[in-house]
Amino acid sequence: MSLHDGPGIRSTVFLKGCNMHCGWCHNPETLSMNPELEWIRQKCIGCNSCTEVCPSGAFSLVDGKPNFQKTLCTSCFDCVEVCYAEAINKIGREVTPEEVFAEVEQDFQFFRSSDGGITISGGEPMLQAEFTGQTLALFKKAGIHTALDTNLSVSWKQYEKVLPFTDLVLADLKMMDNELHRQWTGKHNSTILENIYKLDASGIPYFIRTPVVPGVNDNEAEILSMAKFAASLKNLKKYELLPYHTLASCKYTNLELENPMGQTKDLCKKRLEWFQWIVKHTIKSPIPNPSPKREGSLDSGFPE
Amino acid sequence: MENSFSYQSRIDHLRSRKFAQTREKIEVEGLLDEDDYGRVLPPSNAWKSIPNHPDGSFYGLDGWTQNFCSVMETHPVYVDPQDAFAGRWVYFMSRMRANKWNPDYPFDHLKENIEKYDIITGIGDDAHFSPDYKLGLSLGWQGILDKIEHYRKINTSPEQMHFYNAHEQAVKSIQGWIKRHIDLIEQQIQEETDPKLKANLQEMAETNRNIISNAPQTLREAIQWIIWYHLASRTYNRDGAGGQIDEMLRPFYEKDLAEGRINREKTIYMLACFMLNDTIYWQLGGPDKDGVDQTSEISFLILDAADKANCSINLTVRVHDGMNQELFDKSLYYLIKNKNAWPRYSGDKALVEGFMKNGFDAQLARQRIAVGCNWMSLPGLEYTMNDLVKVNMAKVFEVAYQEMMQDKSAEPSTERLWNLYTPNLAKAVRTAADGIRHQLKYQKYNEPELILNLLSHGPLERGLDVSDGGAEYYNLAIDGAGLAIVADSFAALQLRIEKEKKISWEEVTYHLDSNFDGLEGEKIRLLLKNSPRYGQGNSLGDEWARKIGEEFTQLVRAESNTELKHTFIPGFFSWANTIGFGQHVAATPNGRKSHTPISHGANPCPGFTNDGASLALACAVADIQPGFGNTAPMQWELDPTLASQDHAKLIGSIIKTHFEMGGTLINVNIMDKNQILDAHKDPAKYPELVVRVTGFTAYFSMLTPEFRQLVVDRILES
Repeated sequence: MSLHDGPGIRSTVFLKGCNMHCGWCHNPETLSMNPELEWIRQKCIGCNSCTEVCPSGAFSLVDGKPNFQKTLCTSCFDCVEVCYAEAINKIGREVTPEEVFAEVEQDFQFFRSSDGGITISGGEPMLQAEFTGQTLALFKKAGIHTALDTNLSVSWKQYEKVLPFTDLVLADLKMMDNELHRQWTGKHNSTILENIYKLDASGIPYFIRTPVVPGVNDNEAEILSMAKFAASLKNLKKYELLPYHTLASCKYTNLELENPMGQTKDLCKKRLEWFQWIVKHTIKSPIPNPSPKREGSLDSGFPE
Repeated sequence: MENSFSYQSRIDHLRSRKFAQTREKIEVEGLLDEDDYGRVLPPSNAWKSIPNHPDGSFYGLDGWTQNFCSVMETHPVYVDPQDAFAGRWVYFMSRMRANKWNPDYPFDHLKENIEKYDIITGIGDDAHFSPDYKLGLSLGWQGILDKIEHYRKINTSPEQMHFYNAHEQAVKSIQGWIKRHIDLIEQQIQEETDPKLKANLQEMAETNRNIISNAPQTLREAIQWIIWYHLASRTYNRDGAGGQIDEMLRPFYEKDLAEGRINREKTIYMLACFMLNDTIYWQLGGPDKDGVDQTSEISFLILDAADKANCSINLTVRVHDGMNQELFDKSLYYLIKNKNAWPRYSGDKALVEGFMKNGFDAQLARQRIAVGCNWMSLPGLEYTMNDLVKVNMAKVFEVAYQEMMQDKSAEPSTERLWNLYTPNLAKAVRTAADGIRHQLKYQKYNEPELILNLLSHGPLERGLDVSDGGAEYYNLAIDGAGLAIVADSFAALQLRIEKEKKISWEEVTYHLDSNFDGLEGEKIRLLLKNSPRYGQGNSLGDEWARKIGEEFTQLVRAESNTELKHTFIPGFFSWANTIGFGQHVAATPNGRKSHTPISHGANPCPGFTNDGASLALACAVADIQPGFGNTAPMQWELDPTLASQDHAKLIGSIIKTHFEMGGTLINVNIMDKNQILDAHKDPAKYPELVVRVTGFTAYFSMLTPEFRQLVVDRILES
């Protein structure tokens, strides 16, 4: 259940694989397109079954206890089968759109009663545009509200395949400075900005969401610059600031990944409120067809 | 001081006094795994019961009448000049006897199976059905005496004369108790120097003088009348059932308002005093017998008053298609604001449709309301043994498993286990039903319902105890407990042994016998525990839960007897017996260790899913409803990060959707994990922390460490 990826109660499907590598990513398990191993040390009971089956020596005994070296792992996942404690898990599986539909179907009544629906997120779901389009189409046909959470960095042609089945786009905007954007995410933002204009012209409802990350874009100039850009758009339904949090740090540990922002602390609430104030007072022109107020979000809110 | 003794300051005083009384109870009487009620400590020279049997206990009409009248004669009087109402109760009379069942009516023929299957039979238990307070409010004490007199002339057998005499004595003893309160109030009026409190006491005295015989005419008189009846009934046998509180009080409120006797503030003050008096189960909102929503202005004032009192409160909001959305929204606002486990929610659609499947019409079904811990009742119309009779389905599973493993004539399999489980479950259900039949035959000789008879339709009219043919309907409840343990056990065995062949029956049995001892035992325990569980949605565990639920439902239904008008209604509820039942069950194949608690009511085992627990829980519990008008409650531990006012609409959506799917009752706790851990460590630091333990709320600090642990586990793993 998700309350933060679009209106109402939603189920969010996270697709693996991302074309950006944002240091603050709170879904590091979705960076790689391939299935990968997660090792939750706290759950390990020390039965050593993993070391017994591991063919590559990735799991070995160190001081009598299992130890994992990711670089040696060949992703055979034999260890997952023998880890009864579920300390070792395979992250990622192949599914068909129909299987996703069947899994989510039991929650339809909750979607309908709360004006919620399905959100496809990631990673970057548009790296699997065909799957994303087919999945959204199934839900749309069933009368379920569909949302696409994307960084908008993929060719617009790909979006044209998916948008006919999309009721709402949740678009990321990290920062306006093109070079800084490349530094922090691995990609320039020129395609993103172009796609935002195209999305604005398409008539499809969309929100823009900005992760506010300490030391990255948590400064007045950057926030003001993005707010001005948002204010220039004609059909934007909502602009949201999402505060950086450290809840994902254990995911990096479990995935044996280096956490680039390991020392960064949560964005303080007062600072967020200040940025929200800036946004609110920058976007002054009334937006036609204002979106209903989204419950529970850190919504900057539009004047109505 | 301008604001001295304002309504708000009086409520604050009463709240503080209640918390102090709760602390005193803990200090003197120790911890208690049940509702706080509004009871206060007995005096040092406490009343002692008067035995009328060689075993030292008291039984039958004479024993109970003599003891009740004796209690009423000596019961302490309680008047607080800041309270709108007089009276508190102090004695658990039904617990102050040497034995709860009259040995002259033995049930030895049932004892072997009771022990074998760990059944709570309810034999000798009492109350757990609802009086019709409207009847009392229309008659008053003198009206009840007149009614006794009227039927005494019609039903003239010696046994009936005896019956009427006993009830007459009981009523007169209650009137005597009220009279002693009036005396005390008048004394306090003389001594009181504050003009506001003096006026309050004068009004309190007048209220009580008016209702000592006559039927109440004003809101204050009506509430005071309810309090007296309720306190007497609590004292007699802990009866805690209420009724449709808003509609019951509405005519009095509207009349007072029209005649200028009260205003909104005074009404809230009186209602808050009422809430602080005792934790009676009241229903709010919901349809009348014709389906029209009963919400009125006083429904909202009751919520406002509960917010002011904000103690242990048992208000249930009835959710139905035509409900007042504003009332629902306001109830959610207070649920989230106070995080004190009230109100809870009752699902009209499934309850009404289910009850109608017993052969009753919609008008009657709509009158069956949420007035107990997990239970429904037709006020004044039925005898039910609600929440008193429980089958430990996990114990039945253990019996079947042992039978299978001991009989070497055939290979073990889940199919064979199921074929052994069902006849054992049938025997367990039959034993429980036989226990109820035993109660119906002999309870009048054991513990007649002297007080509840007064506000039931039938006992006085017929001269028969409500348990003995006095009631209009006998809708008899049998609840299953431990559903998730059994479902998950079947699923684990099927998957790990039969499908995956990761382990053998002999290995599982070895590890069960050794209670999953050692590293290998723990490894096997986790293998079993991490099998697809009930609650995960379309899982093997869900399939088994459905199958077990349907079997139990059919078995309970089959005990009904149309000729005797006995309708047996199944439910899934374990009340506070999760620990006790668990202590009688060894390790189970779902990875549960020996003697640890069984699963809670209809809920999946804690930690059943890592993702989307709220929706999965709502779907799972809706899916296994027995569907005949009794409940299988959803116990919902809501994370405080979700439970913000911003999310009220979404929480409301989950509640409504669960009921659309077939759910019957939702009990909600909103608990901060760190706070609950700290409170577990040092309960005294959180004297006002209230949790909804099962159907009832309780002060966390009153619970025993074992029970606190259970609540903590549930919340941490939700």
